[in-house]
Amino acid sequence: MKISGFLKLVFGLGFFCFSIPGLADSTSNIDQQWTEIACRYEIEVIPHAKSKASSNNAWFFWRKPGMIQTQDADGRYGEIWERTSNGSIQYRKLYHADRTAVEYMPADMPTNNISFDWIKLSSMLNQQELNALNIVKKTQVFGRSAELRKGKTDNQTIEVLWLTADNLPASIVKKDKTSSVELRLVEIAPLSAARKKPADVEEIANYRHIDAVDFGDMENDPFVKKVMNAEEHHH
Amino acid sequence: MRNPITDVFFSDSQAYKEKHIMQLLKKLSVITVSSTLAACFVQAAEPTPENWFNAGHQAVIDAMHLNPNERHAKNVILFIGDGMGISTITASRIYDGQQKGGLGEENSLSFEKLPYLALSKTYSVDQQTPDSAPTMTAIVTGVKTIGDSVSVNQFVVHSEPSANLVNANKLTTILEQAKEHDLSVGVVSTARITHATPAATYAHTANRDWEGDSDLPAGATVADIAAQLVDFNINGGIDVALGGGRTRFIPKTATDPEYGVAGKRKDGRDLTAEWVNKHSNAQYVWNKAQFDAIDPNTTDHLLGLFEPSHVHYEADRVAHDKAGEPSLTEMTTKAIDILKKNSNGYFLMVEGGRIDHAHHSGNAYRALTDTQQLSAAVQAAMEKTNSEDTLIIVTADHSHVFTIGGYPQRGNPILGLTQGVGATEPDLDMLGLPYTTLNYANGTGYTGNSNLQPAGSKSFKSAAGAWTSGSEGHNPASFLSAVGRPLLNNALVQSPDYLQEVVIPLGAETHAAEDVAIFARGPKAHLFHGVMEQNVIYHVMAEALGFAEQHDAEEHDEAHEGN
Ligand SMILES: [Zn+2]
Repeated sequence: MKISGFLKLVFGLGFFCFSIPGLADSTSNIDQQWTEIACRYEIEVIPHAKSKASSNNAWFFWRKPGMIQTQDADGRYGEIWERTSNGSIQYRKLYHADRTAVEYMPADMPTNNISFDWIKLSSMLNQQELNALNIVKKTQVFGRSAELRKGKTDNQTIEVLWLTADNLPASIVKKDKTSSVELRLVEIAPLSAARKKPADVEEIANYRHIDAVDFGDMENDPFVKKVMNAEEHHH
Repeated sequence: MRNPITDVFFSDSQAYKEKHIMQLLKKLSVITVSSTLAACFVQAAEPTPENWFNAGHQAVIDAMHLNPNERHAKNVILFIGDGMGISTITASRIYDGQQKGGLGEENSLSFEKLPYLALSKTYSVDQQTPDSAPTMTAIVTGVKTIGDSVSVNQFVVHSEPSANLVNANKLTTILEQAKEHDLSVGVVSTARITHATPAATYAHTANRDWEGDSDLPAGATVADIAAQLVDFNINGGIDVALGGGRTRFIPKTATDPEYGVAGKRKDGRDLTAEWVNKHSNAQYVWNKAQFDAIDPNTTDHLLGLFEPSHVHYEADRVAHDKAGEPSLTEMTTKAIDILKKNSNGYFLMVEGGRIDHAHHSGNAYRALTDTQQLSAAVQAAMEKTNSEDTLIIVTADHSHVFTIGGYPQRGNPILGLTQGVGATEPDLDMLGLPYTTLNYANGTGYTGNSNLQPAGSKSFKSAAGAWTSGSEGHNPASFLSAVGRPLLNNALVQSPDYLQEVVIPLGAETHAAEDVAIFARGPKAHLFHGVMEQNVIYHVMAEALGFAEQHDAEEHDEAHEGN
């Protein structure tokens, strides 16, 4: 599971439903202040039914001013968000193994009402989402100060261990009737000292670029065929 | 000819008028009732049997007075609704009519009033269901070719990198011929100006996706499509090119003026600057204010690129575009104003390029509103030209798997749930659930859980608050099987972002193979008749412009020389 898929699972499908239009434009100062950081996370989905196997996934998260990048553990797939010189946000899916980027034109983002909340992109949770959870304990993880926050709805409970200085979760655990989904930070380092670095933006610029809108007319393209028919098959 | 719809207001029977007006009002929403009353009987109402009969008879009288225009055309304007199949036209006609306050079905889009009509067989040399590249090649060169090929013949293999091989097999386009005959030429699209449909008029390549130099494989000698547009050298170059696709015209080292994203050219060329430098009285514009400031009288070569990729859907254009961009109608009229200065005439191609994209996204609303805008552009062109000397053709390159089904009553909202004649509730399927009139046979509106949206109805927009982006439309990579059907309501299905249900889940809805319509007026328009191969469209244009006779004469000369 991708990081974005996980966060959608936890927050996108009803636990919280926030949209903060326009916030992205007012956050560049905060963005500049936040630490450049490299993290490695693991996601585990544990079904309560013993008959079902749990699944485990690792991925990387990098943050620096104006850029967020993620990558699967095997380095095949990633995502990149960049703030452009005039405040637009450019989003691309990166298929490193195919040296191909699928772009979502900035022009189309308002069309889609994609809430590119830069704070949320940079820290995975925004302030409103955090505020909806009660602080139950102040603690330390990875030698950093953290807050344990908890929340509950009819169907699920959610627990977030929040790194207050880094503005990132050390863990997010969501439990409902069928399963628990856990996101855990396993490595954190300043970006300059990171063991694994994000893909170079110059290198990405040399990838083949495809506008996602054009997929419908690229049915014979081997790459498009592959991503439209094979990615993340559930059966 | 009197309008049978408004005739009811001229009827002698007051009771009849009242009855029909009340029936009409019942079908309108509360919101529209007040404005309808305010409009005081200019509102449409149903014709009487007598009206139907008379209007039908009048149509025959009109047809009898239809005189084929045998003259040569001075100008040709070719409109392409990309993916605008007949069901799209019908649904758009109804949508447009309902937007105007009528029941809808009686409405006509501008081009549906053109006197001549034929059906076009769209298959390509190797495809039962084609894409835009070979279909537009057929339309503008008179020759069918293989899928993904842009104005090269079927003997060039797909993705042929050799410029020599491409040149040896290139097909001359009507635009090139027009230029050779000293006409002015223009290309207008809401897609990238390098996209298959506009590209086929001026470029030759065996891969429609080679739009910029960074799209070409290493070692390819064939020029990218953007470069072919600006390097087009017949008789002073292309006169007008308006559309999207900016990033393939500017170098990697430059940033987009509107969004700040990087350009895509590896060769360092800034084709927008080259356009201005190489042409006489040339301008390049990228936003609406600059576009509006262009004086057609002093501008002879206009390049307008209004978005990094395709321009906005008409439904989103005004509300969402950062820098502002002109509508298809505004681009069309500006193009005509520049081109018409040439006393020899002009050839103009105008594409409603995003009807196709909306359908691929499974979103009927945007397909219908973009078709409505194409209709407005045709209307503007009809008003700016004379049918005595200007051939106007409106057609599609191919269709989509888009259907209008069920048994909705007259005036039922076209985007709404199907509700039968006299019914007070929507009709139910055999699971006891309501359903929409518009549906797709395949695509992204499948109601199983997708990797992007939960089980149930799908939306063009991603969920608010989701951490990741969605995409433009719903572009899933996978689906789970749907269980039954979702419970629909009219508010949901009539919202602009609703994706109509589909039978077969696919990552994108597909083109369809059935014939599309060709509408025409003006010189030689009567040569469109019956069911025709798509490549005949070129031959009618060539005949109208007098190129065909010249071609025949040349062949005759060659035969003589051979003797
Ligand atoms: Zn298409």
